[in-house]
Amino acid sequence: MRLAAALGAALVVGGCMTVPTRPELLVPTRARAKALERDGQLRPALLEWKVARAIDPGDADARANEARLTARIEGLVAAKLGDARAALQRGAPLQARHALLSALALDPSNASAAELLRGIGDVEFATHTVRAGETLASLAERYYGDRTRAEVIWETNRLPPGKPLAVGAVLRIPEIRGVPFHALGRTPPAAAVAAVAPPRGAERAAAPPPDEPPEVNPLLADVRDAVERKEFASALADLDRFLADNPRDREGAELRKLALYRQGQSAYEDKKYDDSYRSLTLLAKLQPDYQDAAALLQQARRQVVDEHYLQGIRLFREERLPEAIAEWKVVLDIDPQNVNARRNIEQAERLLKALEQRKSR
Amino acid sequence: MRALSLLVAVIVLGGCATLGVDRPTVARAGGGVVVGESDDFVVVVPSRTEHPDSLARTYLGDASKGWMIEDFNGGRRVFKAGERVVVPKRPWNVSGVAPTGYQLVPILVYHNLGAQSKGRLVLGADAFAEQMRYLKREGYRVVTLTEFVDWLRLKRQLPRKSVVLTFDDGYHAFRVYAYPVLKKLGFSATLFVYTDYVGAGRNALSWDELKSLAAEGFDVQAHSKTHADLRRASGETDAQYARRMQAELAEPPRLFERQLGRGVQFLAYPYGRVDDAVLARVREQGYAAAFTVRRESNPSFVRPLEINRSQIYSEMTLEQFARNLNLFHQENLR
Repeated sequence: MRLAAALGAALVVGGCMTVPTRPELLVPTRARAKALERDGQLRPALLEWKVARAIDPGDADARANEARLTARIEGLVAAKLGDARAALQRGAPLQARHALLSALALDPSNASAAELLRGIGDVEFATHTVRAGETLASLAERYYGDRTRAEVIWETNRLPPGKPLAVGAVLRIPEIRGVPFHALGRTPPAAAVAAVAPPRGAERAAAPPPDEPPEVNPLLADVRDAVERKEFASALADLDRFLADNPRDREGAELRKLALYRQGQSAYEDKKYDDSYRSLTLLAKLQPDYQDAAALLQQARRQVVDEHYLQGIRLFREERLPEAIAEWKVVLDIDPQNVNARRNIEQAERLLKALEQRKSR
Repeated sequence: MRALSLLVAVIVLGGCATLGVDRPTVARAGGGVVVGESDDFVVVVPSRTEHPDSLARTYLGDASKGWMIEDFNGGRRVFKAGERVVVPKRPWNVSGVAPTGYQLVPILVYHNLGAQSKGRLVLGADAFAEQMRYLKREGYRVVTLTEFVDWLRLKRQLPRKSVVLTFDDGYHAFRVYAYPVLKKLGFSATLFVYTDYVGAGRNALSWDELKSLAAEGFDVQAHSKTHADLRRASGETDAQYARRMQAELAEPPRLFERQLGRGVQFLAYPYGRVDDAVLARVREQGYAAAFTVRRESNPSFVRPLEINRSQIYSEMTLEQFARNLNLFHQENLR
């Protein structure tokens, strides 16, 4: 009875305003999901795939994409939390803050990220306009009384590596917990310091007790930054050197895994599946259950297999038989069970032989 | 004429009522056609022009959840017949952090009100009413302080255009000038009263008035005992300071319990002043949240004992008032 009424209503409604069909509704939803993911908005993209699945619960593509993106987000969140903890340890609260916010953007109900973020609170910083002749080290000397803190300013402002400061550039100089902070600079030329924000310290009667300055291995900090900048090759080379001298260093070993993971992930995103497969295979040898690396490795493996298989087909069609065979052999190296590749190789070899026989006649 | 149009309608209806195989076939009275549904979402195509609140009544059983539909569909408040509308069935972004930045919730502080503005802290009734109508017109959703604190604990998602209203000190003028406006617009508010002031003369609210306001859903919370700066005074000994803090922080909850029959969870710092020693005492006394007057909106990860509030002064124009309503901090978090 109720069903009949509902059906009747649907007939009337459907008839008068031409409700789009499910496939019609799915097309823009899918497009939106893909565009969002391309734009790096992973969580909104995931929600859009979930909407697609609400429109059509049987849509296998939406389901697969949702699962893939969920795994990818989980991996990224774990990595961001790791980054944040490491940044906190080396006394870089602004970096930690950014990593934690990024984790929350991926997983807005992540309680650990929210809690760590609350712990950081406000980071005070001064704004500095660069004048001729100033270097990161001279700024570190002015604000922290310590030239070796240049790194923090470089990191906070995400400056390109190895380039001199641009005159007139406005830099943020963060307070480092546990390091005396001369927010106005130790020898302040009035014009150079634009503002100090937030104007809070004045209202506080007692400053929080300074924390112990954390132990930081500068080389590992550099490596971490290189990973952050996606300069994986140099990060891994530095790590190799470091681990050769300190074979038991845990942080170094962890960092190598992180670098391989990120390298694999980044290559996958750039559709460089061979590279991704190579890095993730190395990682799997170190720790098979690293985050979602196993799943990602499987995906990369599938992509590599597909890529070489299809390349083989293309070459075969162009009658470049030896090259086609080589592509399919790569497939067999990775996936020895691949029946199609095996069969294609046999067929191509037969053809090749026949051609040679004809030629020799 | 009318008969003719009716006839046309019948023909049109009859003529186009053909359904394709893949056409959605579930409809609900008033809400349009349900295209599909999962645990998270209902996807709807409205049959006529609908507002988020009307769709929320149909699909979420509660018109006050209209903000969920509004926020999920790009902040739009009108949906045309035939377009796709996604109805989220549960929260989808509790902390309000997104790849492009994060949600902020402004908390406004009012003090005394009067028939006319007088000085900075006596706001004219007309100006107040104008500000409240502005909030309504612009689609702000007034949320309670309890809802706000639940948000900090990631227990609840708040509307994108949330705002909290608070009134400090406990002036009788709240009952005269603010109450009718808030009632009419359906806005909730929190009163932070300092207990020495309650029932003290013509300008203060009495415990009875507070009790009846509480019964109507207005929230009454602590603003210390004497409204003195809670930071240690110069020359105050440890023992003196401890005794003073005990009175300022522990007595209000006791009095609230006795007079209103319920405890206190929140504290507004007198003058908004706080330091680390005060924080420690407030934490010790079990306050769940405490409020300054630092002029800034709040992210969900604000520290619960240092929540920002923006004071509204009588000399502010409507435009200046609106500048306190920051709802989003843009930051690239991709």
